[in-house]
Amino acid sequence: MSSLSTEKLRIGYGDVTIVDDLNVHIPNGQITMIIGPNGCGKSTILQTMARLLQPKSGAVYLDGKAIHKQSTKEIAKKMAILPQTPEAPSGLTVYELVSYGRSPHQRGFGKLTHEDKDIVRWALDVTGVAAFANRSIDALSGGQRQKVWIAMALAQETELLLLDEPTTYLDLAHQLEVLKLLDRLNREENRTIVMVLHDLNHAARFADYLLALNSGEVVKEGSASEVMTPEVLRNVFQIDAEVVEDPRTGRPALITYDLLDSRRNQTPTFEGTGT
Amino acid sequence: MNHTLQKKQKKALWIMALLGALIIASLLVSLHTGVIQIGPVDVMKTIFGAGTDRQELVLFDFRLPRLVIAILVGAGLAVSGAILQGVSQNGLADPGILGINAGAGLAVVLYMYFSDGLNTSLGAMSIFIMPFMALLGATLAAVLIYLLAWRNGVTPIRLILVGIGVNAAFGAALIIFQLKMNPRDFMQATIWLSGSIWGTNWKYVLATLPWIVILIPLAMYKARFLNVLNLGDRLATGLGTRVESERRILLFIAVCLAGASVAVAGGIAFLGLVAPHLARRLVGPRHQLLIPTSALMGALLLLVADMIGRNLLAPSEIPVGIVVSALGAPYFIYLLMRTN
Repeated sequence: MSSLSTEKLRIGYGDVTIVDDLNVHIPNGQITMIIGPNGCGKSTILQTMARLLQPKSGAVYLDGKAIHKQSTKEIAKKMAILPQTPEAPSGLTVYELVSYGRSPHQRGFGKLTHEDKDIVRWALDVTGVAAFANRSIDALSGGQRQKVWIAMALAQETELLLLDEPTTYLDLAHQLEVLKLLDRLNREENRTIVMVLHDLNHAARFADYLLALNSGEVVKEGSASEVMTPEVLRNVFQIDAEVVEDPRTGRPALITYDLLDSRRNQTPTFEGTGT
Repeated sequence: MNHTLQKKQKKALWIMALLGALIIASLLVSLHTGVIQIGPVDVMKTIFGAGTDRQELVLFDFRLPRLVIAILVGAGLAVSGAILQGVSQNGLADPGILGINAGAGLAVVLYMYFSDGLNTSLGAMSIFIMPFMALLGATLAAVLIYLLAWRNGVTPIRLILVGIGVNAAFGAALIIFQLKMNPRDFMQATIWLSGSIWGTNWKYVLATLPWIVILIPLAMYKARFLNVLNLGDRLATGLGTRVESERRILLFIAVCLAGASVAVAGGIAFLGLVAPHLARRLVGPRHQLLIPTSALMGALLLLVADMIGRNLLAPSEIPVGIVVSALGAPYFIYLLMRTN
């Protein structure tokens, strides 16, 4: 079982520190979702955990070993990362892209072995994109394309799967499809999944563990019922939220919200703007 | 369905075979065209050892080495362009645009300038010195581009922009030295810079061959890294690639290929851009197929361009680089218009 945690992590760009002294432990075999307002550093943290960004100090631990002391290829056999809105070169077919997921397992000229082909086939099937295997990625819709990218990450055969806003730009049904797919992978394949998500109701519905962030700090972590409370949402998002129990899932759900009084005063008024 | 990749691979192999056949066909046509007419039948006869001494001399000592050089250089520039386009994630990259050709050109012109003109520098030794000078210039340009583009790693867009800048600077330096040359050397240098296959005996083939036959297979060995680099740095890292060092190795391969090619054929523009583009349209962007297809495409294009250059205004020759540019520039504009 792969484990992922951070210790005294400090991250920043140039002189600006975005995250200071972050200590989190990602629970094994569960779905962890990172939520927080824009610019709170959630994507930065995810990318640092995936060694795409270098921390200023502190360390990310994968299987008890500091990540910067492991070879990037070995890491790629344990952890896959899907960044936000990835792009494929035009003309590449679905099958070819998914086969790139085998990279960390390949050597030499990169010819696919029988085992590679079996895994690519499985990844195409499980994500439901096998029917488009021959098609060029450019010819797919946004939802199909996102599933293809997930298939590529799955072909990497890792226990850990990190995703940065995997539902961005998708419509309601496709968002749910992607999340249900990830949920199924977590339950059936016992994969540990970490993702950054904007939609709070989706986070509450699918996460086993929630990390609520503000200004690079964990404000609250725990189960959906512990984190999705009006108090936490007030602190994290500066909103006045009304949370009820979703009658279908039994999970907390945000039915309506408003800006806090302090914040409401900051919204621009249309009087006297002169336009 | 189970043979998705194989089907595409099979198609690509057919395309490569076709390109190979076209290369052989152009080779045969090229052999029998020229100032001294040797008919197709006589060409075949000579190849199989039944020609006259004069025919043998013309075919084997004058024409064939030049054609072999065209094949090697065409393949070298095309693969160099394919690598640069993959590494920079930019379809407009090629050794000419990035200043690598200009670097090689500057080194060669400086060498000509200080060794007092082509006529004396074309001694036996300089045949082997020229490729190294070109390579030195190409490498210097590449190192300069790489260092100037460096800021905690090299991003593709900085690489391109800095490359264009370096290209302009080297171009300016070239003109300064050319203007100080005597008129005859100036002419020679101009012809060289516009790209002409002047290395027309077997020694030049020998000087170029090792670079091409070692570096193209090496590029194919690195194809899977090019594939993932083409997805962007973050995905490539996520897939377990040491992005910075693989990029450096691939750049080095591209630079050596361009340098070795420019050394014997001058600054042929557009070939490194157009050949990989055409190849990509035929076999797609997976580099295991793209690199060999680009190599064949580049060889074919240069052979045909050389044939046109030699025969259009015969007996005087048009430098092959000008033919390639005349054909390549409209395609380049077409590409730009299509990508809106």
